[in-house]
Amino acid sequence: MSGAERRAGRLLRWYPRAWRERYGDEFRELLVADIAERPRSWSRTLDVVRRGATVRLGLGGAAHADARLATVVCSGATFVLFATAIWAQLAIGWQWSRPATPATSAAIVAMACLLGIFGLLAGLGAAPVLWAVARRFATGRGRALAVPFGVSLAGAVVAVLGARHFAAGWPGTGGHPWAHQHLLPGHVAALAWAGTLSVTSYWAHPSALLGFPSDELLWMVASPVALVAAVAGSARTIRRLELSSRVVRFELALARLASGAMVVFVAAACSWIATGGTGPRNLFHVGAIDFVALAAMIAALLFARQAGADARATLAR
Amino acid sequence: MAKREIAGPAALILSSLAEGAKHGWALTKDVEAFAGVRLAPGTLYEALNRLEALGLIEALPSEDRRRPYRLTAAGAAALRAHLARERHVADVGLSRLAAEWGTA
Repeated sequence: MSGAERRAGRLLRWYPRAWRERYGDEFRELLVADIAERPRSWSRTLDVVRRGATVRLGLGGAAHADARLATVVCSGATFVLFATAIWAQLAIGWQWSRPATPATSAAIVAMACLLGIFGLLAGLGAAPVLWAVARRFATGRGRALAVPFGVSLAGAVVAVLGARHFAAGWPGTGGHPWAHQHLLPGHVAALAWAGTLSVTSYWAHPSALLGFPSDELLWMVASPVALVAAVAGSARTIRRLELSSRVVRFELALARLASGAMVVFVAAACSWIATGGTGPRNLFHVGAIDFVALAAMIAALLFARQAGADARATLAR
Repeated sequence: MAKREIAGPAALILSSLAEGAKHGWALTKDVEAFAGVRLAPGTLYEALNRLEALGLIEALPSEDRRRPYRLTAAGAAALRAHLARERHVADVGLSRLAAEWGTA
């Protein structure tokens, strides 16, 4: 095998297996010819990486609607993770004192309601998928789902059990005289806080991290891994389920509602950033991590909307 | 039926295939020759993938490991409509330029 063929083979690996099975041979031939004519080309590498990632994410090209639906799920989960992290921080503040301005109070209440709506939509969306999984296993056709569904389930169990364990260290309680304003029952906010401990600016301050208890530090590393496993396993399960177009349409309708709610959530978060300031006792402080979270939420929202639009276009063909 | 708007790499690919079937590398070289645009491999195959899904082109049996593509009747109609729109825009632009700025 020549050097050009080896390099073409490496570039080809940016694409998913199904794509390689269909286009692999001819694409490799094209890459070999291109490499022979232009041995060094960063633009070619970047183009292949970008397009390969696009296909893997179920965007662009002619991916099936369920692949695009899996992208919607991943984007939605990313949005909810960062949204929960922002909201959990505000819920802690509210536990001690109300925000200084009505606008900030309204924004935080809106965010709390929207997270509830995301939960409701996720439950409605999960129901037909779980039903399809159960039917596949019940009819003896669930073998291909065993690994991704198992990974998803294991990730979710670790995330929930870990969050429950570390919720005991929630800083929203402690018997302080001006504590317990109660935006929500404390254990809900505590779970949200513990589940999103990894979304923190402490990563930029390794010396400060060293002062953390070792089990908490371990959880900050393990919890995102568990969440990624849960979401990636779910996405892979959806791709392998071959859902009916009726179910995909239902899921996309829910995704459309969710994306509308995401826009409102982003607006509420921006309202807090613009009007909230530090608030009483510095409880509603806006930090660098909040801007990072906001940027991640906007990117996830755009990805979700694009994938949803692509999926609807695929179904319309 | 979904609208079959074509633009960018898709229009270049369809224009190239209008003269006959071509595989990926032949397409790249032809587009480079007539349009002065080098389609990167990933961009080319993303467009081929989409055009095939839309039924505007179709794959022919492989020659060695290279697979040629050819225009379908729907692809020819879509290209004709696209080029007519482009020609209209070009005609309007050129006539307005001539009226205001004179001919070159």
